[in-house]
Amino acid sequence: MLVLLGLAVLISYLWSMPWRPGSRTAAELASQIVLPLYMGFLLPVICLGYASAAIADERTGETLVYLLTTNIPRPLIYLSKYAAALLLTLGMTLGGLAALCLVPGKIGLEALGVFWTVTVCATAAYVGLFFLFSAWVRRATFLALAYALMIETLTGNIPGGVKRITVSFYAKSWLYESGETLGLAPNGVVLSLFDPVSAATAQWVLGLASAGFVALGMWVFSRKEYD
Amino acid sequence: MNTESRVTTALAEMLDVSKWFGPVMALNGVSLEIGSGITGLVGPNGAGKTTLLRLLTGQIKPSLGSVDVCGRDAWSAKAKDHIGLCPFGDATWDELSGRKLMRVTAGLRGFTGAEARRRAESVLETVGMAKRADRPVRTYSKGMRQRIKLGQALVHDPDLLVLDEPLNGVDPVGCEELNELFRTLAAQGKAVLVSSHILHEMDQLADRILFICRGKLLASGSLAEIRDMLDDHPLKVRISCESPRWFGPQLLTLESVKSVSIEPPRDLLLEVQNPSRFYAEFGEFAAGSDAQVQRLKATDTSTEAVFDYLMERAARPE
Repeated sequence: MLVLLGLAVLISYLWSMPWRPGSRTAAELASQIVLPLYMGFLLPVICLGYASAAIADERTGETLVYLLTTNIPRPLIYLSKYAAALLLTLGMTLGGLAALCLVPGKIGLEALGVFWTVTVCATAAYVGLFFLFSAWVRRATFLALAYALMIETLTGNIPGGVKRITVSFYAKSWLYESGETLGLAPNGVVLSLFDPVSAATAQWVLGLASAGFVALGMWVFSRKEYD
Repeated sequence: MNTESRVTTALAEMLDVSKWFGPVMALNGVSLEIGSGITGLVGPNGAGKTTLLRLLTGQIKPSLGSVDVCGRDAWSAKAKDHIGLCPFGDATWDELSGRKLMRVTAGLRGFTGAEARRRAESVLETVGMAKRADRPVRTYSKGMRQRIKLGQALVHDPDLLVLDEPLNGVDPVGCEELNELFRTLAAQGKAVLVSSHILHEMDQLADRILFICRGKLLASGSLAEIRDMLDDHPLKVRISCESPRWFGPQLLTLESVKSVSIEPPRDLLLEVQNPSRFYAEFGEFAAGSDAQVQRLKATDTSTEAVFDYLMERAARPE
């Protein structure tokens, strides 16, 4: 994960071409680096890396039994582990975002200001979903990878309403509105094909999805018999 | 075959419990009670021992029937206040030191600060790991891991201690130390359930034994009680005396003696129908004769022998 993040920061550094100061703008950084590289790829990958392993690793490592035989109610165990995974993942995603934005210099500050709130909410939603996978199946990382590639990447980029089942759709919708000054939203036909929802709707959906994933995960975890 | 009256104070109770995993029936209508003292759980591979332990520790739910620990459903968090589990696998949080692991475990049980530290130190002392507790668990031998896992099970002072093969990988001296610890815990009124495939371990250790096979409870009770009930397998008794050729025929007059064979130079091998009655009759008889009995030993009262008989009985068509 750190290697991926390091590579992304390197790309951002090379992109900014420090020997030609002032040649890059915040809008270019946001639309050419942060949006496609970070929001479209790194963010879900970091989230799945940390969240999908949380319970599945305890299960395959045979240490889950120690948690399941404590007097802590199962939903609380799930919630505690989710909170821990979320904090860890937020550290990585926000840290990564900051590094990616600040390496090119001051132009990144504006992009960082626009992206960080979306990153927090998208991280909460992704972690909630991948954590649910972790409680549900033994090989959760494979399922999460398949989801990230098939649903988020493919479905998230095809025209029509089906992409509304993806987290990235709402994250992008939010960014298109809040990042107006950076010119993040595509123009004309592309925008109408994307058909974004408003930032307020996106915030609601991401918030509710996060809470829903956590609630569903707690329900699954509290009933499932782990071997 | 339940040989005895009900356990006086049942800390754990299974009532008509069946458990399926898909089409496989792992347990079939098992009812049992576990009270204070050491209870051995014995059965071949695939008998349902692990399923039974997982049900008792609330890791899985019964498909039918109920499992209670200290009056609460074993699945509930409240019941787990009373349960300590030492699982079969070696896995634990290896990156921690033994001391840290014990504190974390105490923390998971709701003890914090000084109390968690006190419990951790106390339990490390109890399992004989206090001097080796600063090393990471990943560097521990199998026997040390068993001890540290046992410490994890003991840190909250549970009423029911469930131990899955606790002596696996422990050296003979360590085995004796741990057995002594189990006896001490049992003497404190705790219920200690020990699953083991090493049957002779149970001979001296367990107050009661649960024999399980193909998901069914074959017998429960003390070894002597179960052995007494196996009337289709007469008890084999070896007697060493000065004049076996004279004493052997005399013994045949006892009603409880089914057969006598002489094993020169000094031994007699008896088959006895009713052991309790035999011992009473024999004491009286030997005292009034000149046989000069030097030794009397039942040869098939071990857990292993009883287990073999039970398995043989279970394999017979109804």
